[in-house]
Amino acid sequence: MRWYYLNTNTHGCRRIVVSRGRLRRLLWILLTLSAVGLILWQCAELLMNYYSASVSVTVQFQKLPFPAVTICNINPYKYSAMKEYLSELDKETKKALETFYGFSEGKSKVRRSVDEWNSTGSDFFQQIPLLKVEDFSRTATDLHSGQKRKIEGSVFHKDSSIVNSGDSNDIIGFQLCDANNSSECALYTFSSGVNAIQEWYKLHYMNIMAQIPLETKEKLSYSADDLLLTCFFDGLSCDKRHFTRFHHPLHGNCYTFNSGENGSVLSTSTGGSEYGLQVVLYIDEADYNPFLVTSTGAKIIVHDQDEYPFIEDIGTEIETAAATSIGMHFTRSRKLSKPYSDCTETGADIPVENLYNKSYSLQICLHSCFQKAMVDSCGCAQYAQPLPAGAEYCNYKKNPNWMYCYYRLHEKFVKEQLGCQQICKDACSFKEWALTTSIAQWPSAVSEDWMLRVLSWDKGQKLNKKLNKTDLANLMVFYKDLNERFISENPANTLVILLSNFGGQLGLWMSCSVVCVIEIVEVFLIDSLSIVLRRQCQRASKWWHGRRGGAAKAPPAGDVEGQGHANPACLDEDLPTFTTALRLPLPQDSPLPRTPPPNYSTLRLEAAFTEQLPDTLELGRH
Amino acid sequence: MNLKKYLVRALHRLQKGPGYTYKELLVWYCDNTNTHGPKRIIKEGPKKKLIWFFLTLLFASLVFWQWGILINTYLSYNVTSSLSIGFKTMKFPAVTVCNANPFKYSEVKPLLKELDRLIEAALERILQPTPGNSSQDVSPPLNLELWNQIPLVLIDEHDKDNPVILDIFETNQTARDNDTAVGNETSVSTLPALCPQCSHQGSANCTYRNFTSAAQAVTEWYILQSTSILSRVPLHERIRMGYQAEDMILACLYGAEPCNYKNFTQIYHPDHGNCYIFNWGMDEEALNSSNPGAEFGLKLILDISQQDYIPYLSSAAGARLMLHQQKSFPFLKDQGIYAMAGTETSIGVLVDELERMGYPYSDCTMNGSDIPVKNLYSQYNTSYSIQACLRSCFQNHMAEICGCGHYMFPLPAGVNYCNNEDNPGWAYCYSSLRSSIKQRQICIDSCKETCNDTQYKMTISMADWPSEASEDWIFHILSYERDMSTNVTLDRNGIIKLNIYFQEYNYRTISESAATTIVWLLSSLGGQFGFWMGGSVLCLIEFGEIIIDSLWITIINVISWCKGLKQRRARARYPDAPPTVSELVEAHTNLGFQDEAGGALPRAGALPPEPGTPPPNYDSLRVQPPEALGADSDGD
Repeated sequence: MRWYYLNTNTHGCRRIVVSRGRLRRLLWILLTLSAVGLILWQCAELLMNYYSASVSVTVQFQKLPFPAVTICNINPYKYSAMKEYLSELDKETKKALETFYGFSEGKSKVRRSVDEWNSTGSDFFQQIPLLKVEDFSRTATDLHSGQKRKIEGSVFHKDSSIVNSGDSNDIIGFQLCDANNSSECALYTFSSGVNAIQEWYKLHYMNIMAQIPLETKEKLSYSADDLLLTCFFDGLSCDKRHFTRFHHPLHGNCYTFNSGENGSVLSTSTGGSEYGLQVVLYIDEADYNPFLVTSTGAKIIVHDQDEYPFIEDIGTEIETAAATSIGMHFTRSRKLSKPYSDCTETGADIPVENLYNKSYSLQICLHSCFQKAMVDSCGCAQYAQPLPAGAEYCNYKKNPNWMYCYYRLHEKFVKEQLGCQQICKDACSFKEWALTTSIAQWPSAVSEDWMLRVLSWDKGQKLNKKLNKTDLANLMVFYKDLNERFISENPANTLVILLSNFGGQLGLWMSCSVVCVIEIVEVFLIDSLSIVLRRQCQRASKWWHGRRGGAAKAPPAGDVEGQGHANPACLDEDLPTFTTALRLPLPQDSPLPRTPPPNYSTLRLEAAFTEQLPDTLELGRH
Repeated sequence: MNLKKYLVRALHRLQKGPGYTYKELLVWYCDNTNTHGPKRIIKEGPKKKLIWFFLTLLFASLVFWQWGILINTYLSYNVTSSLSIGFKTMKFPAVTVCNANPFKYSEVKPLLKELDRLIEAALERILQPTPGNSSQDVSPPLNLELWNQIPLVLIDEHDKDNPVILDIFETNQTARDNDTAVGNETSVSTLPALCPQCSHQGSANCTYRNFTSAAQAVTEWYILQSTSILSRVPLHERIRMGYQAEDMILACLYGAEPCNYKNFTQIYHPDHGNCYIFNWGMDEEALNSSNPGAEFGLKLILDISQQDYIPYLSSAAGARLMLHQQKSFPFLKDQGIYAMAGTETSIGVLVDELERMGYPYSDCTMNGSDIPVKNLYSQYNTSYSIQACLRSCFQNHMAEICGCGHYMFPLPAGVNYCNNEDNPGWAYCYSSLRSSIKQRQICIDSCKETCNDTQYKMTISMADWPSEASEDWIFHILSYERDMSTNVTLDRNGIIKLNIYFQEYNYRTISESAATTIVWLLSSLGGQFGFWMGGSVLCLIEFGEIIIDSLWITIINVISWCKGLKQRRARARYPDAPPTVSELVEAHTNLGFQDEAGGALPRAGALPPEPGTPPPNYDSLRVQPPEALGADSDGD
């Protein structure tokens, strides 16, 4: 021990042995211990902060790839073409409007239709009728029979509970029942009839649409020629060949400009409105479905080529009779994945199957997760999301109680009980186009006349009526500037820097290094272990010897001492405390053979110590 | 003499400390150095010695390896960014407002009369393609000179291989000759209808530019023609034809203080005619805003008089506005936004700043002085921006290649604007230049962005204005103030209200700082060295010292070896001859040398105890031998 303290490179330990006086030595012990403590604390701190990231922002001015722009008409399908599928539903809705609100457009017409309905007698709507609920009595008036009945089961308010429903005595809603177990019902009520009727309509609409095959639906929706009147990109004309059709379940046919489908992605090398995409859209307002959509215009979304356009979630709406100018600013971000943050690079490590044929995003994961849960518990897939393998869309004929199941499931999903939100993680890298949208009147009062005439001519001879300006929307999408901001996370620490910091800490407090650590290990573990072992060995052999020559019991004690003298290190078998180390008989001769011969300074030091030793020994005894 | 003294001293040191041989030197070094490893090597037993030797070697190589990494990291000049968000008193941005239409139609009508009649007639022909239908009431003969320079044509593509070109004003149909139709002939339109095309006649080659829509073709054609006409009009005349500040800016309020059109700086913008800039900071100090919210921002009421628009030039109606930094040129086509007539547009502003470090940390320019492109926008006394650089670059190329400048950009010295009379082929030249990817790439490569990039992030919302209830009195007052008349001269289609104000958090600053400074480098180097070997700069100096010492030893060895060689040679020559007196003397005084010349290291081991004698070790005793040696070495 002594030898260690003297020869060690750490400063404190040496001080302890070298310094005189009890107080001073105590002080040094304390200082050394506190330094060790500090080192441990700081190093722990360094280790904990090891997985932290620093953010760097770079701006690069360069030729930028133009994003994909997906454009949809807000109305999914031509109303005129959908007539044959939706006529019954519309009649039903009109009847509901009349009975509950006394609204009718041309009384005689509606009455006739009601009669017709009665004759056809579809049980389809009867299962989920609109109900007028009197809240206090908990009775509901059925739309068809007009009879009142008691409501069983729980009442769900689809609208937020902030609305005080107590004072309005006629709440509109509909009831969904579990088909297998009719006693289990859920009543959805709305504070406003507008919401109730739209929601109810949508429910039935999805039912109907789920039965129509995709090809038919594509035909029912708008074609590229219908939607796009003119197109201009980067100073050059473009046409429908630059657009890719993409069928969205809720928005019908959408068209993606620059989808990268043919392998090439257009890019812009000049910013400004002239060099972006300029399209004039034809929005046929007269052919809108009156109950499904209540607003007019188009929806667009700017996204990356391999991203799925969630048009219903993050689309921007475009007004008719106006020029909408959308300036883009491009930002690319990249996060560090594990262990720095909890994100996923490709989505391959997420246990949810990606139903969309596009690259991973959080939104895709959530939707896929919900769809999977839907297929598992309801046995069929929800209409708005893609089909998983082997499943089919829900419709009333095959899955009579899917709606009840869907609403239950959806509620669970929203309340995060399905676990989707826990499973799905952010994507590590994402591209973002920040949009600045502004609107101008278009066409202007003086140019309206010729503009509409020429555009009508563009539209072709098949449309012999002159276009109305509320049927048109002008859209400009362009880069405001070609600066690409790239926000990336970098590891704040590398192993090299961590070690440097360790070294700095060790050096600062103790002037210690890895060498010291090895020394400590050497002295405290290997050496003392070997000493202890040797000691045990000796003891065992002694005990053995003692047993053998049972009568001759004279030698032991003296022998041990003798051995201890011969091998001074042997004495500190238990914890090598400082004082025990000092109490050792002076290793006057032993150090010499151990150290290599021409070791002058050590010799001298040793010599100096022999003089000091009586002092220290005394102190130790005190 | 100095040298001699130095040599003597160095030798003393050798004697006293490390000794005369390499081994001594090493042992001495290992024992006395502050670096941790070497000490262990000599202090331990033979087995551990070996372990320690390898450990020390390992650590030393680790240290050097990590040092390499650190220095590499330092030389890559990384930056870290820090972000701060909040509200502070800031300069209110400069606000540029323009009318979407550049000139009053009533003023430019005489100039564009011919053109308008032409286009009307052409539209007639396009829309009713049966000839002879509309020709009865074309009373004045059309000036076909303008037309012939850049005619609009229709291309019939029923037959893919032989498209038929129909000139609108000539009834004869010419089958397109494949040899003369050069250029970007990419018309593969599947439209069964006719395809209107615009053609630019250069000197010999003719390019048809295809449009899929007649509306686009007409607009493009009109823009080309009108720029050619307007570029001949002198600037002051053009300013007069545009919208005047007092007509356009009806009301202005900044914070609680009233302002009027006189607070705006007029600037002529080629795209939008007269533009007016509030708070540009050119003549007076820029205004500060120290409160968030609409109450403390800028409120403007503008009149864009939509009835006076040029019908074919601009089809969108509204005001064009842009927020930008003080003393910078507003590039409305890039960064501008529209405000719709008959609405109140509220714009909340967040200043998004990016402060970057210049070379070598990032590739940006501080003030544009190091950019090889001549900034043409400096004539407006504005600061450098990347847009200005790109446009200047284009205009310079245009002046170089086409011989004239484009009307939309400022002119380089000694160049005129292009017009159809002086430069008949300019439109072709311009189109080919504009669509040339190579030219764009050259400009992108030569321009750099500025290091301090400020963007104004806007939150835009709109409402109808004025409301139906307040419509009457508002129009009345505004008309009265503008024209001093009691009749209402304004209407919904011409009036715009703007609110521009700071948001609750009005700045977001991303600033860069160097991730690796020289201090960082030194502390990391020290940390590494300390971590593995417990070393410091002093250890490095020690090491250097040892190298010098070993050099000395080498020199001494070499000298003595030479001497030995000489002696041996001498002995070889006179094998029996007795040594000379001087030789004897030297041999006597300089014991050490003979020892080493004999290569007797074991004897050297016997020597050291002398230097090892207790501390008070004055040099005086041993001055003599080294001096003799010094003299000798000098002699050699």
